[in-house]
Amino acid sequence: MHELVDRSLKDEEFEEREDDDMLICRCEEITKGEIRRAVHDGMYTMAEIRRYLRCTMGLCQGQTCAKLVKGIVAKELGVSPDKLEPATSRSPMRPTEMYIIANEEK
Amino acid sequence: MERYDLIVIGAGPSGLSAGIEAAKAGASVIIFDENEKPGGQLFKQIHKFFGSKEHRAKVRGFNIGYQLLKEADEAGAKVELLATVLGIYQDKEVVVKIKDGIKHYKADSIIVATGAAENMVPFKGWTLPGVIGAGAAQTMLNLHGILPGKKVLMLGSGNVGLVVSYQLKQCGCDVVALVDAAPRIGGYGVHAAKISRMGIPFYLPYTIKKVEGTDHVTGVTIAKLDPSFKFIEGTEMHFDVDTVCVAVGLSPMSQLLKMAGCKMEDNPRKGGQVPIIDEHGQTSIPGIFAAGDVSGIEEASSAMIEGRQAGIYAANYLGYIEDELMKEKEDELDKALDGLRQGMFAPSNRGKKIEKTEEGIDISNNLLAKGFVADEEIERFPGVVHKLGIHPVMECTQNIPCNPCQDACPKKCIKIGSKITSLPAVDESVDCIGCGMCVASCPGQAIFLVNENVGEGMAEITLPYEIYPLPEVGEKGIALSRAGHPLCIAEVIKVRTGLAFDKTAVLTIRVPKEFAMKARFYKNEKLAKSV
Amino acid sequence: MITADTIVVGAGIIGNAIAYYLAKKGQKVIVLEKSDNIGDGGSSRNGGGVRQSGRDPRELPLAMYGIKNLWPYLSEELGTEVEYYKKGNLRLGKTEKHKEILTGLTNRAVACGLDVRMIDAYEVRQINPFLSEEVSCASWCETDGHANPLLATLAYYKAARRLGVRFITGEEVLSLKKLRGRLRQVITAHDIYEADNIVLANGIAARDLAAYVGIDIPMSSALLECLVTEAEPRMFEQMLGTAEADFYGHQSKHGSFVIGGSSGLEAVNKDNGTPINSSITAACIARGIIKYIPKLSHAKIVRTWAGWMDRMVDGVPVIDKVDEVEGLYLACGFSGHGFGIAPAVGLNMANLVLGENLTCDISGLAYNRFAAKA
Repeated sequence: MHELVDRSLKDEEFEEREDDDMLICRCEEITKGEIRRAVHDGMYTMAEIRRYLRCTMGLCQGQTCAKLVKGIVAKELGVSPDKLEPATSRSPMRPTEMYIIANEEK
Repeated sequence: MERYDLIVIGAGPSGLSAGIEAAKAGASVIIFDENEKPGGQLFKQIHKFFGSKEHRAKVRGFNIGYQLLKEADEAGAKVELLATVLGIYQDKEVVVKIKDGIKHYKADSIIVATGAAENMVPFKGWTLPGVIGAGAAQTMLNLHGILPGKKVLMLGSGNVGLVVSYQLKQCGCDVVALVDAAPRIGGYGVHAAKISRMGIPFYLPYTIKKVEGTDHVTGVTIAKLDPSFKFIEGTEMHFDVDTVCVAVGLSPMSQLLKMAGCKMEDNPRKGGQVPIIDEHGQTSIPGIFAAGDVSGIEEASSAMIEGRQAGIYAANYLGYIEDELMKEKEDELDKALDGLRQGMFAPSNRGKKIEKTEEGIDISNNLLAKGFVADEEIERFPGVVHKLGIHPVMECTQNIPCNPCQDACPKKCIKIGSKITSLPAVDESVDCIGCGMCVASCPGQAIFLVNENVGEGMAEITLPYEIYPLPEVGEKGIALSRAGHPLCIAEVIKVRTGLAFDKTAVLTIRVPKEFAMKARFYKNEKLAKSV
Repeated sequence: MITADTIVVGAGIIGNAIAYYLAKKGQKVIVLEKSDNIGDGGSSRNGGGVRQSGRDPRELPLAMYGIKNLWPYLSEELGTEVEYYKKGNLRLGKTEKHKEILTGLTNRAVACGLDVRMIDAYEVRQINPFLSEEVSCASWCETDGHANPLLATLAYYKAARRLGVRFITGEEVLSLKKLRGRLRQVITAHDIYEADNIVLANGIAARDLAAYVGIDIPMSSALLECLVTEAEPRMFEQMLGTAEADFYGHQSKHGSFVIGGSSGLEAVNKDNGTPINSSITAACIARGIIKYIPKLSHAKIVRTWAGWMDRMVDGVPVIDKVDEVEGLYLACGFSGHGFGIAPAVGLNMANLVLGENLTCDISGLAYNRFAAKA
């Protein structure tokens, strides 16, 4: 969703929650609290969240957690999850050993 | 570089169907799949499919897989297995990992049919070993022959949760509860009824509060939710389990399409991020099509039709099929697809509360809330009649697109009519011969043959039965109610296993006649021990 | 109309750093970013090198200043861990020709006062035992290193935002406008922004914008590619490069290797409107890596990515106050090596805007240095 977003600092304290220690991204071991805090720190898009925390960038390539992360970010921002653009998809679709990628047949 | 007219990515129901249609039209086709076996989800679907006879209803999923593979072979579509597509690049180039290397392919058209992946839901303890996707449990059971655990709690009452609970039970697992945060069961009522009568309790609207254990699951606590999805204090229930299965929906695996540069949308109704496609399944990149779950989550039956359509469109795009012929085939498949998208569970009805059937009958609320039709509700449905002698009782109470029973009866005493979603009715003017064909043919296992009075105050009930080992004639066990409660002693009178029954045994039990309309399952000694 | 003291166009690490240092000195700053994401260009698509060795003498002062005075304290200053490692840079060679190239680079850097030297095969493997037997020499600069570009970019953003900088994403600048002889306005699809100073830090797109006030910046774009592995056990902490610049990279704090390389076709790589990877580069980079670091042959590649670099015709950026157009400042054309000097560029650009003394001599990076050959 391409739209204008003013990133100005919001005048609100970060509020800790009881379930902040829950793991969300298992590959990179990122908790719900870390994701919430990242939004508070100005990371408003899925791309920024993953660059900042690495969540959704592990071995499962976000297959498990991308939707969960998105849900948390959307809730923090007070928008519907489908308003958040999912992060880019990148090759290789499955983690692949370097010697295999290097062994190329045209 | 190796070139084909068409590259299909994914040899599941839609990919295979697409490849078959395009190859039949004359296109050179290669279908890649990363798995060792083709068929996608089909080979772990051991249950009989719903739908119409023309579209393989009442055939077990894995057998549909074999049928499709044979058709693909006959049509000349090449299926390349253990071939992982790593990326779609510009100019319709596909890079595939095969064995210890990568290989570049190009095609004039690509159909992406990569299917979907399971969703997860986080709760306290969700990362403990023993919390698994229901689909993963199904793969373990049906492809690898491994039990995921002994005592299981299932979260999610959609068809996946219901079907996998049934299969876990078939394998001897104790399914302690089926839990859903929604107030109503999401999947087909007949699937719910099937596991309800085996004694699996439903808890709605409940969800998991925490999963317990240090290095693996040892227990789970659920609690009831209020309308704003908050836990209600004091409603906690604990179960000792070693496995928690999560069946909370699927997300399209559309990453390849996004990577290729196709325009995407995030559509909650389709399960997540999907390509924007035109009426021919074509993405924003001409010649790249999407079919099956990758373009929106639906049943495998729809995926097969969508796949065939995509194959036909691609063949037209490639110049193998004239517009006119395409239109003709398209109309036919559209009709079939429309049929499958009718009824209570149609995509357009998602999230809606349906109060009445198409026939104007009140829906069974007990079925939606507890998983079985209450004794006082069952009589109002057209499949439930009373007459002298043996007769079918069809406990099919929701409008779903399915009609194999109509053709199963050699005496034509079951009527659905031309509308595939109509509830089956009994033609009382025709006499039932008790052959059991309808009992075995019903994918929902909702048909029983009842003789309400066989003399001496007894009645006989013929029911579908898929728990092995099968009971023996003459043995005595317990008759269970629709809710899975013990009712009375039941004697096994007949056990039939004809080839035409396709592995659904047809069991006849004798019970006191006051239980003729109540007893719906049989528990033998062996099963009694496991439950 | 929205006003500020300074408007920075482009929220990459350069723009963010400029905004941060300006805000730190009390300026009211607005950063306008065309993309929905902060740092969507080269800032999130680079190998993370923080090096002095191998640099053009014209930008070397910025690199040296940053490594001495800014990078070591950056995590603390910005309040975000930027994963800076000052563990040296090895530029590897395998052939006599490589040795010649490396020796030339080394001699030029030494002349500029940089502590860099040529080392032999033995010493190379003392420093990094994972390198293959093929490596016969290297240039070694102990004070070079690497950092995490994703984090460093967002760290500047986060810190600048805390200081009151107003970042607006999804706001593409359509044109620039002078008022009464001075550049004052930035026009977007949504609004008109006005400021005393306008800094273009938006990479290749700066060329089209500068044209609105009659300035041309001779740069073009090239699509570069990188790959990232899964996290591996800790192997080494140096930044690596090669004499032929065919591959470069490091192991991140997280354990993954971030490695860039080239297929040789970068300048003519086709794109589809987004920086899409080519089908051939990852394999080429992987072959290169295996030759230099055989142990990585079984590391799994989890991701590849591509990014456009803004390639200045002479290989170094323009970092300057444009005398001919009052109010215009340029920081663009970093030619694929802007990350390491970003903090120093940010600080000096802020000083330039504020009319304060610079910490480095950047006279070689002037906007008006381009001329036809004699």
